[in-house]
Amino acid sequence: MAQAEFYRPANLDEACALLTQYGAKAKVIAGGTDLMVAVNRKRLSPEVLIYIGDCGLNYVKMVGDQLVIGAFTTHTELAKSSLVMEKAPLLAEAVGQIGSRAIRNMGTIGGNLVTASPAADGAAALMALDAELKLVSQNGERVFRVESFFTGPGETVRQAHELIKEIIIPPQAAGSKHGWYKLGQRKADVCGAVSAAIVVEMQNGTCRKARIVLGAVAPTPLLAQAAGSKLQGKALDHTVIAEAAQAAANATAPIDDWRATAWYRQRASGAIVKRLLEQISV
Amino acid sequence: MPMLELRVNGRDYRVLVEPTTTLLEVLREKLLIISPKVGCNTGDCGTCSVLLEDKLVRSCITVALVAQGKEVTTVEGLAAPGELHPLQKAFHEHYGSQCGFCTPGMLLAAKALLDENPNPTEDEVKEAIAGNLCRCTGYVKIIESIRAAAAEMATAKA
Amino acid sequence: MALKVVGTRQKRYDGLAHVTGETRFVDDVFVPGTLAVKVLRSPIVKGRVKNLDTTAAERLAGVAGVITPADVPVNGYGLIPDQPVLAESIRYKGEPIAAVAAVDEDTALEALDLIHVDIDAQEAVFDPLEAMKPDAPRVRPEGNILMFGERNFRQVVLGDIEAGFKEADHVIEGEYFHPALEHAQLEPQTSLAVPEANGKLTIYTVSQALYFHLGMLAGILHMKPDDLRCVCKWAGRTRSSWRGSIGLSDIKYVGGTVGGGFGGKNDIHADHVTAILALKTGRPVKWRWTREEELLYSTYRGAWIIKIKDGVRNDGRMVARQVESIRDAGAYTSMNSYVVDKHCFLVNGPYHVPNIYIKGYCVYTNKPPSSSMRGFGVTPATFATEVQMDKIAEAVGLSPWEVRFINAVRNGDQTATRRKLDSVYLIETMQTLAKRAGVVLPEKLQAMTSAERGA
Ligand SMILES: Cc1cc2nc3c(=O)[nH]c(=O)nc-3n(C[C@H](O)[C@H](O)[C@H](O)COP(=O)(O)OP(=O)(O)OC[C@H]3O[C@@H](n4cnc5c(N)ncnc54)[C@H](O)[C@@H]3O)c2cc1C
Ligand code: FES
Ligand code: FES
Repeated sequence: MAQAEFYRPANLDEACALLTQYGAKAKVIAGGTDLMVAVNRKRLSPEVLIYIGDCGLNYVKMVGDQLVIGAFTTHTELAKSSLVMEKAPLLAEAVGQIGSRAIRNMGTIGGNLVTASPAADGAAALMALDAELKLVSQNGERVFRVESFFTGPGETVRQAHELIKEIIIPPQAAGSKHGWYKLGQRKADVCGAVSAAIVVEMQNGTCRKARIVLGAVAPTPLLAQAAGSKLQGKALDHTVIAEAAQAAANATAPIDDWRATAWYRQRASGAIVKRLLEQISV
Repeated sequence: MPMLELRVNGRDYRVLVEPTTTLLEVLREKLLIISPKVGCNTGDCGTCSVLLEDKLVRSCITVALVAQGKEVTTVEGLAAPGELHPLQKAFHEHYGSQCGFCTPGMLLAAKALLDENPNPTEDEVKEAIAGNLCRCTGYVKIIESIRAAAAEMATAKA
Repeated sequence: MALKVVGTRQKRYDGLAHVTGETRFVDDVFVPGTLAVKVLRSPIVKGRVKNLDTTAAERLAGVAGVITPADVPVNGYGLIPDQPVLAESIRYKGEPIAAVAAVDEDTALEALDLIHVDIDAQEAVFDPLEAMKPDAPRVRPEGNILMFGERNFRQVVLGDIEAGFKEADHVIEGEYFHPALEHAQLEPQTSLAVPEANGKLTIYTVSQALYFHLGMLAGILHMKPDDLRCVCKWAGRTRSSWRGSIGLSDIKYVGGTVGGGFGGKNDIHADHVTAILALKTGRPVKWRWTREEELLYSTYRGAWIIKIKDGVRNDGRMVARQVESIRDAGAYTSMNSYVVDKHCFLVNGPYHVPNIYIKGYCVYTNKPPSSSMRGFGVTPATFATEVQMDKIAEAVGLSPWEVRFINAVRNGDQTATRRKLDSVYLIETMQTLAKRAGVVLPEKLQAMTSAERGA
């Protein structure tokens, strides 16, 4: 077995230089809560580990009217951040339910995105918030909307020499409401069988815009655009909600696995969207 | 092999480790600190819980080198030798431990909770230990133990 | 006489060590030079190993020893010694075929990849009802149903079942299914075997049944004949697997600290493999199962199908109970014969029924062997019979309490297995229970006692 190496870059430039040097041989490590599970299960044996905890990527701040979050910020920090609670309460709620305390203390938002699990809770919330993420490398920066970042289970547009630097959340319009629900076999330490993140912009009793995101029901977190359109320009009454819920269920392409059957996931998707929209409408 | 320097329960250690060596492996196999247990090695059960700079973490999925220069606490470091932390005393007196396999991790989850919230409600205790599985007790006695310790610590302070 | 302990609340004798972290479980025992074990498990559900080649694995640097079925002195163990330590006939997916001891787990895993094995796949059967059919694929050469003496079921008979049903005003039937269940104790199966300089073998075990396993292990290892100093209460049952050659005093079995068992450590899971590897390599050997292995391949509570037919009089008295139960044993007997025995002896519940006919089948399927779990077949029986009691109450129009009071066993009653009962306090227990639950019982029930039943 080749001798593995461990690097601890002191800043972003050093980290990028190492990633350019080692490319696909290297694995970035943040909290390690996904990576080390794979290592311990012998599914991964990285030759080079690059720990990004000292690169200054741990922050939550306002830049103009945008909320900017460093990739190395932990779920515990996000869930407790007064800025996040004020500007993007959906994110605080969603990551506040990830795993359990010990997982949230280590797991980071950047790791949640790069793992690209269809069930990633942080990713679903960020997609509903219409967030962007910034990739950096020695070649410069690339910015993607979170919804176009994922290309499949465990796959993203990120290239091996790139790092997520930060996440940018646009200001939420006045009158924005959100809903979050994660359906799992128990409350802690489970991946959702289905999860839903919803942001609805209400103005004078009608919906201006809605983003409905479902987790664990497609190869990537799923933005159910058709479902969102059903709400646009309408008051959230029973008929409209039922239509949107049905559209959301129709958009899913779930699989059978030990967490739930595809049949159940599809039905539950509709039910959860309906329930959340009902809560939002009152 | 990189050199890891860390402090465990107030003592400094220096060990050679592989990049993917976990903190749990260092504690158990190199330092022979055996209270953190291998229940799953995949981050799911909580038997390997330790405090890293006073934060609850799962040592089985924590890369040891991440603890470089940091302070780790295990059950062995909860109280001075020959003494018991109120949580240890309460777990013993209130039957919060049966087979004992989950106990060290459970005690540290409880310690992390009380450090931040000295007077937790039953629901807060449940949330705080939700990531620590126990197959023996049914949790009721664990929750009782943690609340009893909290009460004792409050009285001691007053 | 004043009692010192009875009636007082005692702390756990091992509780202080638990809370200080001093308790040493098997995995906490470190012996210098210990090798790590990994086991090659069959990727195929059912078949025969045609060809097993371990030469490349043995040559890998860091590998100290590889064992195959040929290395196992007596390759069968269990209540009925039908389960091989390492298998040539594969009966479930994940069945161990060979084992490696190496300097570390990664090397042992690398060695597993170098073992070449060809398996002729055969048709498997998973559903016990399918397995019971005469033309079903054979899980075992002797047949898919365990023989209890002459019969292929355990039978318990009391009174005359037909006469009982004739006496009945109501016949109440129910069919119950209890799924399989994993113990999921927090400490995984772990074993450390240390060859000692004096030729003996020390084994640190997670066993819940240490003396029982000691005998079995001596049987597997076929050690030199020795006296029977350690005969335990299980001896009569396990003799068959000892095959006459016993070297109990050659094994020093260290146990008693169990990180949860719940019946999941009543069968040898790891001690046989570590023992053989330790003897072969002359080195200490430790095997800790992964959580995945634990969940997929360790024993578990097997599933049950329980069919009950009760005959009841208008006054609520049960006069006949007929039960047919089927236990899914998986591929081997392990504790299942005893599980079925106990189920049949107790499926009648704590009720006095004069006419009883019980049949319990133990059926093999191509799944990992199931075994004991908290109650040895009685817990699923209780689930079925207590739901059945509520059905009876509904059918005869009495309260669920009253039906249970009327039929509760009393002093002097005979059980299904013809044991005369004394010291019965079921009625009194139910009275206390009702009080604590805030249920006011009718006077008739409050007046009842467990004294002998009048005619
Ligand atoms: C018991 C348990 C429960 C869990 N529960 C949940 C849950 O409820 N919901 C949920 O969504 N997830 C859950 N997870 C998964 C995991 O905790 C989260 O996805 C977490 O956010 C991952 O972050 P990390 O920092 O630990 O990532 P790491 O494990 O450090 O990294 C994950 C991946 O991302 C890469 N990476 C990390 N940071 C960057 C970066 N800045 N730039 C480029 N690449 C990067 C790594 O190379 C690796 O491929 C759970 C995990 C466990 C073990
Ligand atoms: S051993 Fe670390 S969480 Fe189970
Ligand atoms: S005391 Fe046994 S697992 Fe908790």
